[in-house]
Amino acid sequence: MIVQSVEAVGRAVREVVLGAGRYALFLVRSLFSGLFPPYRFRILTKQMYFVGVQSLSIVMITGAFTGAVFAYQSNYAFSKFGAETMIGATVTLALVRELGPVLSGLMVNGRVGSAMAAELGTMRVTEQIDALESMAINPLQYLVAPRILASIVMVPALTALFDTIGAFTSYWVSTRVLQVSTGAYVARTQWYVDVDDLVGGLFKSAVFGLILSSVGCYYGYYARGGAEGVGSATTKAVVAAGVAILIVDYFLTLFIAPLGVG
Amino acid sequence: MMEIAIRVQGLKKSFGSQQVLRGVDLEIPRGAITVVIGRSGTGKSVLLKHLLGLVPPDEGTIEVGGQDLWKLRESGRRDLRARFGMVFQNAALFDSMDVFENVAFPLREHSGWEEEQIGTRVREVLASVGLSSAVHKLPSELSGGMRKRAGLARALVRNPDYLLYDEPTTGLDPIMTAQIDALIRATQDQHPGLTSVVISHDMQATFRIADRIAMLHEGRVILHEDRETFRQSDHPVVRQFVEGRLDGPIRPDLS
Ligand SMILES: Nc1ncnc2c1ncn2[C@@H]1O[C@H](COP(=O)(O)OP(=O)(O)OP(=O)(O)O)[C@@H](O)[C@H]1O
Ligand SMILES: [Mg+2]
Repeated sequence: MIVQSVEAVGRAVREVVLGAGRYALFLVRSLFSGLFPPYRFRILTKQMYFVGVQSLSIVMITGAFTGAVFAYQSNYAFSKFGAETMIGATVTLALVRELGPVLSGLMVNGRVGSAMAAELGTMRVTEQIDALESMAINPLQYLVAPRILASIVMVPALTALFDTIGAFTSYWVSTRVLQVSTGAYVARTQWYVDVDDLVGGLFKSAVFGLILSSVGCYYGYYARGGAEGVGSATTKAVVAAGVAILIVDYFLTLFIAPLGVG
Repeated sequence: MMEIAIRVQGLKKSFGSQQVLRGVDLEIPRGAITVVIGRSGTGKSVLLKHLLGLVPPDEGTIEVGGQDLWKLRESGRRDLRARFGMVFQNAALFDSMDVFENVAFPLREHSGWEEEQIGTRVREVLASVGLSSAVHKLPSELSGGMRKRAGLARALVRNPDYLLYDEPTTGLDPIMTAQIDALIRATQDQHPGLTSVVISHDMQATFRIADRIAMLHEGRVILHEDRETFRQSDHPVVRQFVEGRLDGPIRPDLS
């Protein structure tokens, strides 16, 4: 019994370590391959459109409602000690430092990470990736590098949009619905929120873009076994990238703080 | 003896606990069609992928034009691969591109040609496989046979030095099969330096197109001869396979 469970734990640890190593190698080789010509501008543009433009609506909706609901909740808390004018600063700080990057990252992961895993997984099981290789094309350079680069660029852009819309809905809810004084709301926000907060948040979101795209591509690239394999690769990719975003977020927050940014 | 284009020595490959190739030795001559036959699941497709260096062998060596594939760097293997054309068993067309773009793809990647030149060449190859009417269809809109021919066109388009066909006619009607076989033969005859490897289990077609025939059985090449010698071989496994009989050394694995 005990021997068996120790063995099982050992196997699981081994799997995780091997998987992490394989992922790291995949990531490094993909990024490295992107440094050399031919540069895939057409694919890059297409992916930027897919990651960025086609995520606009979900990011805008999430941003709007996050800002609005967070204003309500902050009002509830602050009204207990009469500090309602702090809503603006609190909500905006939380948005640009944390909620914007993390929620946009998770939303885009659900849409884009899963699509990348499914697309590359299908290409793998139908031998399209082998076909690329048979034509002397590096699939990491052709398929993976542009997807990662597009996500590193577009996820921060989406986050900036999320922040902006969230800040606006929070302002609207606070001043129009909750009757907080407009002047005080704006003044406090300007006083407490810094450009550094925004920069730190956008840096985080670039890392989240890297995570969600590379994890999605990784699971797709190594998918096995027909439609079922593609399905499970997609699910695993979304879950793994989602968890990774939250864990990495914690450590990034720790590391960025001493730099004076964010 | 003809020049050896591809030499496989002691090739072994397992997937997990399943031993697929158990020591394949095979010398493929330049300027001829070598047909590899064998039962479904014996590892013919796996062998073909080894010739391209798509899969690393567990043991053994694969030499192409005298160069050991796995002594080369990845970039060297890639340069060598650029001289291959491969027809995949299930065509493996890029499903985000139409037929034209699929066939144009290798040219766009490697030839440096102008758009006009590419267009002319692509149309020419598509005509030779009888796909002129489906130029702008997506792979999902093609029949199995059309997909196969589009895959063939994509492999042919750059006039490669090595052409690998994985069951190019399986699933086609008899007339289309004869047409594709004729095309394979004609392509070979028009390019004296070309090395073709065809995987097949259609014996009629094999005898029609092959210069040499190799039989893969239980992970090894059990016989590799020129066509006529092969036809007359009295190796019991070969005889049973060629004649498609139920009784003999190969046990039908119906369980
Ligand atoms: N990537 C892989 N992972 C695991 N097993 C594999 C893989 N590729 C092939 N196999 C196994 O190797 C064996 C040989 O497969 P292969 O596709 O080469 O057969 P084949 O001779 O081409 O058969 P067919 O004539 O039906 O195409 C099969 O049992 C298959 O399950
Ligand atoms: Mg096969």
